[in-house]
Amino acid sequence: MSDVLFVAFGLVAAWFGWRVFRVDSMVRASFALLASFLATSAMMIMLLAEYLGVALIFMMAIEMTVMALFMVAFMMNPAGLNPMVMVHQHRVSIAAGVVTTIGAAVVAFGEFPDRAATDVTGSIAALGTELLGGSMLIFESAGLALLATMLGAVILSARTSRFGTPADEGSKAPPIHPDHPDSVPEIEEEEEGGHHCH
Amino acid sequence: MPEVAHVHPLLAGVVALAVLIGGAAVVAVFDELVLSSIAGRSPSGSITRPFARLVTALHRRPIPTERPDVLLGILAPAAYASVAAMAFAVVPFGEAIAIADVRTGIVLFGAAEALAIVAIFLHGWSSNSHLSLIGAYRFVALALSYELLSMFVLIAAALPAESLQVSAIVESQGELWNVVRQPLGLPLWIVVTMGVTFRGPLNLADSRDLATGTSLEVTGPRRVLWEVARGGMLTVFAAMGAAMFLGGWLGPVLPGWAWMLVKTLAIMLLVIGVSQRFGRVRADRVVPFIWTVLLPASFIGLGAAGVEALP
Repeated sequence: MSDVLFVAFGLVAAWFGWRVFRVDSMVRASFALLASFLATSAMMIMLLAEYLGVALIFMMAIEMTVMALFMVAFMMNPAGLNPMVMVHQHRVSIAAGVVTTIGAAVVAFGEFPDRAATDVTGSIAALGTELLGGSMLIFESAGLALLATMLGAVILSARTSRFGTPADEGSKAPPIHPDHPDSVPEIEEEEEGGHHCH
Repeated sequence: MPEVAHVHPLLAGVVALAVLIGGAAVVAVFDELVLSSIAGRSPSGSITRPFARLVTALHRRPIPTERPDVLLGILAPAAYASVAAMAFAVVPFGEAIAIADVRTGIVLFGAAEALAIVAIFLHGWSSNSHLSLIGAYRFVALALSYELLSMFVLIAAALPAESLQVSAIVESQGELWNVVRQPLGLPLWIVVTMGVTFRGPLNLADSRDLATGTSLEVTGPRRVLWEVARGGMLTVFAAMGAAMFLGGWLGPVLPGWAWMLVKTLAIMLLVIGVSQRFGRVRADRVVPFIWTVLLPASFIGLGAAGVEALP
């Protein structure tokens, strides 16, 4: 029963993965990919990787939403509802597809030595204990520092919205040539209210 | 790890459905009661009026839009209801009884919350109508902000229990409820609840200024399902709040399920009261507020919970 379910989830994941390239909108493609990930996470839960499986749902739901929104924003395709083709670079894609399929077939049907991997030196267990034991505070702090860096980068690079003053107000562009301080690039003055098209 | 009895899998769907529909009915009646109390009206008709509206809504004819995504339009309300049921599965609703009290309870709850964002976005996107789409986009901007908040609040509540399992978090409150131990938790959870059910000040998805936003082109049974799921989601988040911060089934004299019911109803009433009292906030004001005020507040709460949990 659980074997049937496992294979079924696998087929669902593969089918949605195929749909990603066949649908005609960025939003549909993003959420088809999400559906594929959901089936994958069900398989991970069946493989007893409970936390990873559930965390995958959690992360992918947010990630695909953000991706759909940004894709639509950059594709200039109103709301992602105008039909468009999801594939490009056909020859490279076909070659990559063939190579990947052969690789997957080797993994699926190839003969591998039936030998359980043993952790002779105990290095895997030691690494796990170190990561989640003695050095946990360091790793957690590193995670927090990375988050703070990301937030800082966003804040520093963001031009404040039309409701505040621009972040680059009063700033000067550096000279183009280091020896000629006068060689400042001309900066386009933006109109009040931001009625400009990118 | 506490011993928790699980509802029989065949009954689980019935239980979840009953909670969602029953909860939605209670939300509708509470909404009317709070509104009439604020307006100084007589509360008579508070029970019948929502049901009259439901019957009217069921008979409203469909609005055709140009090239809608019909499949996702039907799936979105169903998905929103399903993730509400999925979230409810991890919440123990009586003394040590739940549908699926998994070890990764709060992570699964967070996953359901994240999938709800997808459902709400697709609900607004699928009808291919500009006001619905603005509602959907505006909602995602808000959702990305409250989602982080919710995770930090849940992790802080999990720290004293040293477990991600909801029943373990309930049992860790035997001496002192989290509402006292972590005073920031419940207020922040109410903000999250208003966000995920797009209600009151955080109603950016289905608000009046967008002529009901993501629901604008949605009528008939789909619309009823959407509103029922929204009430059900509020019920589930209130139940989770009761388990996380008000000690869940713990309490003297009354049986566990009765305490859980009382606490859940209290949080529902609180959320509805706050929602009715405050006006809607603009997206460009509330998103910076969440990132610069509420999120650091949740960091402080998490840090304090961490220091307290140190051996």
